[in-house]
Amino acid sequence: MGLTKIQIVSALGAVALVVLVLELVRRRKLSEEYSFVWAVATLLMAVLGFSVPLLKSVTQSLGILYESSLVFAAGILFATVMLLHQSVKLSRLGREQRALVHEVALLRSALEDTQGGPVPHAAGERA
Amino acid sequence: MSAGVLVIVPAHNEEESLPVTLGEIRRGAPECDVLVVDDGSTDDTGAVARAAGVRVLRHAINLGVGGALATGFRWALTRGYRVAVQLDADGQHDPADLARVTAPVLAGTCDVAIGSRYVGPSGYHSTAARRAGMVLFSAVVELMLGQRITDTTSGYRAYSRRVMEAFQYDVPVDFPDAPFLIALARRGFRLEEVPVTMRARRAGRSFYTLGKQLYYPYKNLLASLMARFQRPA
Repeated sequence: MGLTKIQIVSALGAVALVVLVLELVRRRKLSEEYSFVWAVATLLMAVLGFSVPLLKSVTQSLGILYESSLVFAAGILFATVMLLHQSVKLSRLGREQRALVHEVALLRSALEDTQGGPVPHAAGERA
Repeated sequence: MSAGVLVIVPAHNEEESLPVTLGEIRRGAPECDVLVVDDGSTDDTGAVARAAGVRVLRHAINLGVGGALATGFRWALTRGYRVAVQLDADGQHDPADLARVTAPVLAGTCDVAIGSRYVGPSGYHSTAARRAGMVLFSAVVELMLGQRITDTTSGYRAYSRRVMEAFQYDVPVDFPDAPFLIALARRGFRLEEVPVTMRARRAGRSFYTLGKQLYYPYKNLLASLMARFQRPA
């Protein structure tokens, strides 16, 4: 059986995404934790895109009429879960940031006690 | 530190009204120590407070009143204060009422004393929308606590050491009102209202900008409901 255009495109797309993810990890721009989620999602899309019989059987067993709908649904589900996950992470980062601001304020005050005067603001700070 | 009362003044861009407030505290309650928490101000709030001779803790980023309170709590705990009072920098809280707000906590009859403008005489007048909101949150709080708090948004409060210990790492709300009251009651702290006079703000803008007027009731209601069910963090 020869490869169809759509199979070639999806395979190339998946390979490109995997390479991108791995390269981002190598450059330390993406943590291993996130790369795992992306790798699994990419692999899943690659398998579904490449194996037409598998895609058809999964689509039928879920009672979905068109194969493309399954692919879109999977993509949207992944994006939604990922966004929710990011929001949770952001909330936690906010809490951690608050804790650091408290800590710095108290440390600055202690430093002022030992130095006997106001400590200059950090470079990144407004004002 | 004779009376063991620390007045915590959260200040975000309050260079205009802060000197007046600090002067009033010095005259009205000379036995109290004062701590200004400069909450990420972009004006000279910190310098103005230092010039008035009070201790200043500076937040590098604006955290809101709750965050300023937590920083104040931690500082008060390490210095051994028995009671911490929040007093707003904008002049709404009259330092002449300090003794009245701190008295029940110092006496040990409650853990949190809330200076309320609706208990007893008051010089406070507000808009219809804000009064409606206050009635709503008062009802929500009463439903949750089984205790009537007439002034849920009042920030003029005195806190015991036990409360400070519980919330020294963070007061996880922007405005420490209805959700904070419910969180306090959930931990078994006793709340009590005392009558105070609220004045008009002297300078600076209210926290309640247009966007916040829409967002704040939603967030506060949700946080109030959640505070009932959340595990104490």
